[in-house]
Amino acid sequence: MIADLPRLGLGLGLRSVHFAQILAERPAIAWFEAISENFMDSGGRPRAVIRQVAKHYPVVLHGVSLSIGSSDPLDLDYLARLKRLAEEVGPAWISDHLCWTGVMGLNSHDLLPLPLNEESLAHVASRVGQVQDFLQRPLILENPSSYVRFESSTMEEPEFLRRLAGETGCGLLLDVNNVYVSCFNAGTDPIDYIRAFPCESVVQMHLAGHQHRGTHIVDTHDRPVRAEVWELFRLAWALTGGASTLLEWDGDIPALADCHSELLKAREHMGGRSDPRPAAEAEPRGVEALSNPVGFLVPRVMDGNLLVEA
Amino acid sequence: MTGLHSIQRWMHDALLFPGKVDGGTRESLLQASPNLPAEAGLAIYQRGYFLRIASCMREQFPALRHALGEPLFDDFVADYIRDRPPESHSLYDLGRRFADWIGERRPDRELPAARRKPWIDFMIDLARFERQAFVLFDAPGHEGKAFAGADTADDRLRLQPCFDLGAFDFPVAAYYHSVRREEPSPLPPAGRSFAALVRTDYVTRTVPLGEAQYLFLEAMAAGGGVEAGAEAAARRLGATAGSVLRSWHSSGDRQRWLDWGFFIAD
Repeated sequence: MIADLPRLGLGLGLRSVHFAQILAERPAIAWFEAISENFMDSGGRPRAVIRQVAKHYPVVLHGVSLSIGSSDPLDLDYLARLKRLAEEVGPAWISDHLCWTGVMGLNSHDLLPLPLNEESLAHVASRVGQVQDFLQRPLILENPSSYVRFESSTMEEPEFLRRLAGETGCGLLLDVNNVYVSCFNAGTDPIDYIRAFPCESVVQMHLAGHQHRGTHIVDTHDRPVRAEVWELFRLAWALTGGASTLLEWDGDIPALADCHSELLKAREHMGGRSDPRPAAEAEPRGVEALSNPVGFLVPRVMDGNLLVEA
Repeated sequence: MTGLHSIQRWMHDALLFPGKVDGGTRESLLQASPNLPAEAGLAIYQRGYFLRIASCMREQFPALRHALGEPLFDDFVADYIRDRPPESHSLYDLGRRFADWIGERRPDRELPAARRKPWIDFMIDLARFERQAFVLFDAPGHEGKAFAGADTADDRLRLQPCFDLGAFDFPVAAYYHSVRREEPSPLPPAGRSFAALVRTDYVTRTVPLGEAQYLFLEAMAAGGGVEAGAEAAARRLGATAGSVLRSWHSSGDRQRWLDWGFFIAD
């Protein structure tokens, strides 16, 4: 039951550049969210680190490869590895995205959008049921950032997720930054989106930075949270009753203290009157950053490889 | 085209082959947005697909990237993922087939070995070594458990699980570490080289080996003990296994290999 899940407060994404400091100093951060795929296949240091972190902090497992919306069969080997990791670290919950990552046995390593209609709802609901039965716990699903929408869609994302949560008992991860990104790109109103969202099913929220290109926005996770997203968060915080909130920072990751300072800005947006329509200014033109960067998922192996002099 | 499977096949193909997307199909499947036309929205996914994988491949093959230069390395990656699109949920798997793919795609593959371009042989060797180092970084290891010590009898010595060996036609391990030290690293001339890779306390070490040492350890990696290793080295050296073993003890090789964490006790 998602109602039984704890309220964890303000947490940070667990990133390898911060491993040593977290283990050595045990900073006063309420909880960490770990990318499941960084750890579930690991027999090395990442697996040892997450075991240690989980001894001292609440941990949540957040996946990017479940591919709950794919028309391929569910990957039972992936689920088995995820379940083994969960048994080791005891996460407060397990989340992934409302998306598909590949088809025909191939993997794009991206979070690709679904057409939102009766066919896809029935498909995803059936698979959420299978995953929850396998993992023996509710699955928490996140709204993705998106750059295209499908002609065959017949419902908006909040309605889709409301029905999915109602049919399956799954929880929801409301990514406030993704709401802003997707709505801007689609030309729709992010406030309407949040107000239509089934906030009673929200277990967690995400915050992150994005790159505003003027004509569109790219979800980059490589810079501070923008003012318009903080204002949207103020509304989401009120409507969810203060769901556990996590800052994601995946590209050009700064020092742990800087990430934490950015996270704690959330406290300034937990009350007061909402003014979620500040002018969203485009950033200076330049190279478009990568959406959903994943380079941080691959370790810098060379740094940890020593040559023994013969 | 309305079914979920059909749409997903179309979109995945559009990521793999951006130049082959039919504009009419795209416009019939994707909604136009006032801010982001369907073509531009799809292009974000298409660019991201390649850039994301190239970024991960650069992390997995830093020395090869250095040797080729980033533009040429990225060109190789683009061809590689078109021929061998990712199959696994794990980004760690991206480079698994890279060295073999370079070998299969080399333009001089029909020529006799002696007439092939040496720099391609070097690339393949380097890719193999980097893949070994990458795999060992996160492979199941022996951390937190006891290793063999100086007093462990020879017949109880076994290689630890996080250990690998490489035999190469170029000095790729030396090149890799030269790149790591940010030294000038010209492409080296051909020369047979041997190395062990071993991980202890989550640090991987590259240990240069002579051929006889390599054969010794190769026999142990195949499941044999020290005696099998000594016999393999003896065959190469034209010596007896007994003399190899005595030399292994007296030269300090045995102790060094223990110190570097090669062995656990059976």
